This record gives sequence, structure tokens and C-alpha cells, in this order.
Amino acid sequence: MTAASSRTATLLRETGRALAALAVALVVAFLIVLATSDEPAKAFSTFLMAPMSSNRTRGLWIDDVAKLTLTGLAFSLVFQARQFALGVQGQAYVGGLLASLVALSPLGVTPLAIPLGMLAAMAAGAAYGFVPGWAKARFGASEIVSSLMLNYIAIRVVNWIVRAHLAPPGTGQLNSPDFPPQAVFPAIVPGTRFDLGIAVALVATGLAWFALYRTAWGLRLRLVGHNPGFADYAGIPARRIMVSAMTASGAIGGLLGAVFVQGRAFGRIAIDFEGNLAFEGILIAIVARSRPLAVPVVALAYGYLRQGAQLMGLRSDVPTEMLGVVQALIILLVASSVRLPGRRWLGRLGRRRSPAVGAPAE
Amino acid sequence: MTELLTAVLSATFLVAVIRATTPLLLATLGGLVSDLSGALNVALEGMMLIAALTAVIVSVHAPWWIAVLAGMGMGALLGALMGLFHLRLRADIILVGFAVNILAAGGTPFALSLATGGDKGTSINLVSGKIPAVHIPWVDGVPVLGLLSGHSLLSWVAAFAVFGLWYILYRTPRGLWLRAVGEAPAAPQAAGVRVDAVRMWSLVASGALAGLGGAQLAMFNYVGFTRDMTAGRGFIALGAVLLGARHPVGALLAALLFGVFEALSIVMPGLFGWIPGELIQTIPFVVTVLALILFSARTRRRESAA
Repeated sequence: MTAASSRTATLLRETGRALAALAVALVVAFLIVLATSDEPAKAFSTFLMAPMSSNRTRGLWIDDVAKLTLTGLAFSLVFQARQFALGVQGQAYVGGLLASLVALSPLGVTPLAIPLGMLAAMAAGAAYGFVPGWAKARFGASEIVSSLMLNYIAIRVVNWIVRAHLAPPGTGQLNSPDFPPQAVFPAIVPGTRFDLGIAVALVATGLAWFALYRTAWGLRLRLVGHNPGFADYAGIPARRIMVSAMTASGAIGGLLGAVFVQGRAFGRIAIDFEGNLAFEGILIAIVARSRPLAVPVVALAYGYLRQGAQLMGLRSDVPTEMLGVVQALIILLVASSVRLPGRRWLGRLGRRRSPAVGAPAE
Repeated sequence: MTELLTAVLSATFLVAVIRATTPLLLATLGGLVSDLSGALNVALEGMMLIAALTAVIVSVHAPWWIAVLAGMGMGALLGALMGLFHLRLRADIILVGFAVNILAAGGTPFALSLATGGDKGTSINLVSGKIPAVHIPWVDGVPVLGLLSGHSLLSWVAAFAVFGLWYILYRTPRGLWLRAVGEAPAAPQAAGVRVDAVRMWSLVASGALAGLGGAQLAMFNYVGFTRDMTAGRGFIALGAVLLGARHPVGALLAALLFGVFEALSIVMPGLFGWIPGELIQTIPFVVTVLALILFSARTRRRESAA
């Protein structure tokens, strides 16, 4: 088998898998709607059609895609290194806070407001991603537990700073004043949320792909993740790679925070601004097999379902939260080896490739 | 400071500690069972949340003990589901666990809104049941001994479960198998033990214990269900498993430690109005991270010294 044909086969197989996941998601969503709604036809057609219905809803969709892409990339990076760091949520909060501090400072009215805010957010996120990595490398502390605890801490501390220090005093508001216009992303399609965020997400995708597949660091990272024994023999400093993967992932998580607060959806910082979106990156990363170039594609499809569920929650009697059920099922099905016919045979051909999360194609 | 000391040394504080510890301890024991069998159960959080909602909804229509059993059964069922996907379909246990957590985060408000006809936040419109407190008549009013009275029935169950689990794990062949499956699966397999069956049952037991914890949370600590009411307790329990040196008594001590700090975060707002509530709420999480780091460092030092 040549490298090119094997790559095509992998691509076909993974695309088939993702499409199967999508089909299952739609069927499950349809069954849930059928079982719970008084007017299932209206609810389900809202779910399927509403995101495309106007410029405004298309903007909402693309705004979600940008954010989902960033969180998907952040999870992909750590999953490729086989680290279960789950701190993207906390990184988004500290990143959003730092971007807001830049926007609300005198720098916020200069043309530097957006790039500086992003850099500050990435630095904060990277620092927040570094901590669980360092605690694991240095002390052997489980990154799962420490990164989750840091999420809870970040949410509460950032909410406190927003409520007590950034909100206009005496108003009881739970958000900062609006940022100056120089610190808010320009709209690509005027009057919608279709803004600079999607461009940021696509650039981040390209950079993550380049770092993972075209640099020595990326090769080492993937080796540490997929074949730790070999990485060890090759003399790769596994701990340092692990910490750097978690730090880089943290920078993307921080950037997600900046895209949240600087985007046209907010243009300010509010408490609980992230709305539990960050964890949906787990689903994106798993369906994309942790490959950066697949992440925006998966985000596009999932973002559509997400927006459809939101609009269905508003316009019909089926609650938005039904998407959580669909999401859990997709993860279960994609992560497990529920096989399509013929998969077993293909699997035998590719026996030497690890079936783990984000197995490398080459 | 003196106010804090008086508050901490009072009998009501002890009651608050035991109350805060009970769900944590049950979840920690659940995490311990599956961790010892070699499957890290990151779904404790979701299992507790789903079991809490199940218990609340069942308690509207049935006596409290049926509701508790329903919560426990729901936890066990989720454990079996994890076992199915992890053991049969070879999915990564951490991803399966997270799928359960996501299912819980979205599924509980969804199910609640179906059960109440539209409420997604709380079950305030449901008349739900409560686990009775155990009053021991002959110790009431007696100093020190009197402190034994007035706790949830499940607090007693949890305390007994610590002993029961220790006995099963260290004094019965089945417990030996379970530990062996986690340590070196090849050995029990060679001895004819069905490794996957042991892991399956430990996941089921893990879910049942976490489910009891969820029932305690929604039928004693609070009466009724609130969205995301577990608030990270399942993840703190995961930390407590590691902190308790993967031993039932250690689990008890670790759960008590976190219970003390949770109780502190409940009494502190009344005493120190000037400290923002958000910061007080971070106490259990900060303590968990610090304890985890300190304890891991100590274990690693001891291992490298040995």
C-alpha cells in the first residue's frame, strides 16, 4: 500500500465515520423531538432550517463555528499528546478577563487594542494551561483533576472581578461597560455577528496544523502521544513535550476567551460569558480525530446543529438542552468501535496503527 | 477570628461537616472501587447529577426509600453503560466518562423540563421527598454522645460502607481479584478470573455508590433538584480517591477534609461579609488542587526513595 492511497483510505474512512455520526445525531434528535414535542414537524424543521433562515442567524452560526473551532483545536493539541487536560473553560475565562482589561484600559481606544488583547489573553491562557502540566510533570498530580479544579476557580474569580470591579458601580449590572469600538472585532457582513473571529479561528487552525505536522516539536508531541515507549527510546523529553503541549493548548484556550469578549456577540465581558461552550470542544476534537484541519469542518457541522437547537428552544416546545443527549451519544459512538460493515477487515490492514484518539495517518 | 473559632467548634458545625461529607464520601468510595479495578471513573459528577434528579422525581410519587434506591439504581445503570462502551466496544474510559457528564449536564435540565412542564432551573414546583434524619433517643442531650444523633440515614450508610468496602477489598477473595485486576490484569486472568466481568461489576458498584451520593445531595443536603447542583463534587471526589492513597479509610479522611472546607465555605459568608462570596466558593477547589499536588509530591518522593 502506498502512502498516498493509505492516506486516501484513511480520509475516506474517517469521513464516513463522521458522516455516520452526523446521521445518528440527526436520527436521535428526530426521535427525541418526536417523543417530547406537541408539534414535532414544526420543531424539527426549525432545528434543521432555522440557522439558514436569515443573515442574522447565519451570523450566529458562524460565530459559534469560530468559537467551536478554537476549543476543538485546544482539545486536539492535548489529546494528540494523550493528555486529558480539560482546562479550556478556565483558560477562556482568564483569557477573556485579560482581553477585557486591555480593552478597558487607555490602550483600548488605539488600533493596537485587538492584537494586544489577543496576546494578553493567549499569555494568560498559556499560563493557566501550564499549571496542570507542570503539576503533572513535577509532582505526578493527575491533570484531569487539577485542570477541572482550575476551571471552577477561574469561573468564580473572573465572575467576582467582573461583578465587583468591572461593572459600573452601583448599577447592580453583571457585565462591564461596552468596549470602545476599536477593541471590538469589525463585522465581515455588516449588522451580523459574522466577524473577525472566524478569520482568527482559521489562522489558528493553520498554525496548529503546521506546528503538529511540519515541525520537530509536533513530531515529538505525536510520538509521545501515540507511542510513548518508542519516544522514550528515541530520547524525547516526554515531560517537557507534555507540558509544552498543555501550554500551547492553553494559549488557544485563552484566545477563545478573547474571541468571546471582543466579538460582536459581546463587545464587553459579562459573568458566565462562556456559557459552557468550551467543553463542546471535546466532541469536536474526538469527531475530528484530533486533526487540526478537520476541526473547522466538524465545527461547521456541529455549530449548525447547535444553532438549530438554540433556535428550536426559543421557537418551539423542545428545550435546547436536548442537544446534550445527542452530543453524549455522538461521543460514545465515535470513541468506541461500533463498526460499519467491512470496518473489521480494514482495521486488520491497518493493525499497526494505534486505534487511539487522534491516531496519526502517516 | 474568634467568631470563626466559636463557629467551627460548635456542634452545628460538626453537623454541617458530616452533611457536606456524606455525598462526597459516597462518591469517593465509588471512585475508589472503579479506580482499584483499573478504570478511572471521571463520570462520578454526571452520575451524581442524574441520580439526584432521578431520586427527586421518584420521591414525588413514592416513599423516600424507593427514591433513594431509584437514584442508586440509576447510578448503577450508568456504570453498566460505561462498562458496555468501555469493555465491549473498547472506547476510552475517560471519553466514555465525559460522555456521561455531558449527558448529565444537558439531559437533567431537559428531563426536568419534561417532568415539570417547562422548568429548567429547579424542581421547586415538585413536592419532593426527604431522607429522614436518625434520632437516637437515649443519646439526645448527653454531651459528646449527643453528637451522634440527627444525621442523615445515608451518613450512617456511608460510614458503614467504608468498613464494608475495606472488608470486601482486603478480607475476601473477590476483593483480592478486584485489586489484582487493577494492578496486573494478566495474573488474575491466568488464574481464571474473568477480568472484564470484574471491571464491569466494579463500574456498576461505582455508579451505585455515586448514585447514593446524588440522592443524599438532593434529598437531604438540599431538598429538591437544582441545575448543576453537584457543582464539581464528583471531580473533587476523584481527587479525594487519589488523596486517600486509594484506600477506603484514606477516602474517608480525604472526604472529611473536603467536607470541612465545604462546611467552612457555608458558614464563612455569615461571619465575613466583606469577603466576596465567589472567592469563598473557590475554597474547596483550591484545597483540592493544593492537596493533590502536595500528596502527589510526597508519593513520588517516597517512591523514588524506595
